[in-house]
Amino acid sequence: MLNPTLDEAYAKICELLKPYNPKSRPIEMNSGIMSDLEVDSTAVFDIIMGLEDHYDISIPMEMVSDIKTVGELSAAIVQLTSEG
Amino acid sequence: MSIFDKYAPLQMRVDMMMKIGQDALGLKFDDIINATRGRIGSREILLAGTNNYLGLTFDEDCMAAAQKAVTDHGTGTTGSRVANGSYAEHIELEAALAEHLGMPSCIVFTTGYQTNLSAISGLAGDKDVIFMDADAHACIIDGTRLTGASTIRFRHNSHEDLDKRLRRQGEIEGGHALVVIEGLYSMFGDVAPIDEFVEVTHNHGGYLFIDEAHSYGVFGETGCGLAEQQGVLDKVDFISGTFSKSLASVGGFCASRHPEFELLRKVMRPYMFTASATPANICAARAAVEKVKTGGHLRDNLKARGAQLHKGLTAMNYEL
Repeated sequence: MLNPTLDEAYAKICELLKPYNPKSRPIEMNSGIMSDLEVDSTAVFDIIMGLEDHYDISIPMEMVSDIKTVGELSAAIVQLTSEG
Repeated sequence: MSIFDKYAPLQMRVDMMMKIGQDALGLKFDDIINATRGRIGSREILLAGTNNYLGLTFDEDCMAAAQKAVTDHGTGTTGSRVANGSYAEHIELEAALAEHLGMPSCIVFTTGYQTNLSAISGLAGDKDVIFMDADAHACIIDGTRLTGASTIRFRHNSHEDLDKRLRRQGEIEGGHALVVIEGLYSMFGDVAPIDEFVEVTHNHGGYLFIDEAHSYGVFGETGCGLAEQQGVLDKVDFISGTFSKSLASVGGFCASRHPEFELLRKVMRPYMFTASATPANICAARAAVEKVKTGGHLRDNLKARGAQLHKGLTAMNYEL
């Protein structure tokens, strides 16, 4: 299992967000994934599954529902990979 | 500030829709003429958007059963089965469905939505892990939210992806895996390879729950659904279904090959605190179950109509 830093997790999220960000909005740590970047819920779960496969982790739905920003998602990945 | 302010963006979308035409989510009929035709204003229309797969809503035997139930036992039950008791009709319908599915236990519910909400929230405890198809219906998602269980989605209809995620999860300390899929998915019309999901789920020591809401009555030699058609009905742990599609009524059921399922009547809060289904709904569904069991001709007609529609739309250059 990979053990990314916060910046590395952020970079991976930016990479996965790219196809869902056609207007090239700036992606910051405090960007709201749905509110600012306007990524719909279906796409969010595609990105979550991509992250799960890349880092070989499970991100439960109850955790996803609490994640609003790119930074919170980055932190969740760091936490889950460090637990493994 | 108003409590409704958070819906301002939604109101904007509704306003845009209304500028284009009618409220697509608030269709109002002036009359329902039969199983396939209705009327809006002076215009008679085809009911192309129903789930009335076998056309039983106007079946004479089903209507007579509902009418007799009202005459014999009244219009409503006025309470839940736990608090106010079960009618003979509830018990008889549960026995009929259990016998049809070849399972020792079956519980009927007041709506299809409530069925999955109840069964999933009752089955999964805090230490269990739910694995749910990514395209699962809202009632399955909401059922998982009523539990303390962790919920993980797997890629739609992919038993390989489920296998990967079950393996990734590893041993579930003090709990079990509950895998939840549907038989036929309503949004895209695709069907699950249930036989493959049975194998993967049981290889990992999990339990398989299938929502056959859209497939009960439609698939299988006796209409039990896709699990019957794929020859694995006896291997599925839990099967849920609804009365509001092929069974032409309102309500739902969940059956299990595990007799212990009966105990869930005492823990499923949506079941315990919802008024039970009316005699008319239950008796209409009971009559429809008999139609389903011997309804090979109804299923053949449905397939023929589907093929006819597909052919016609293809001829009109629609990409299907």
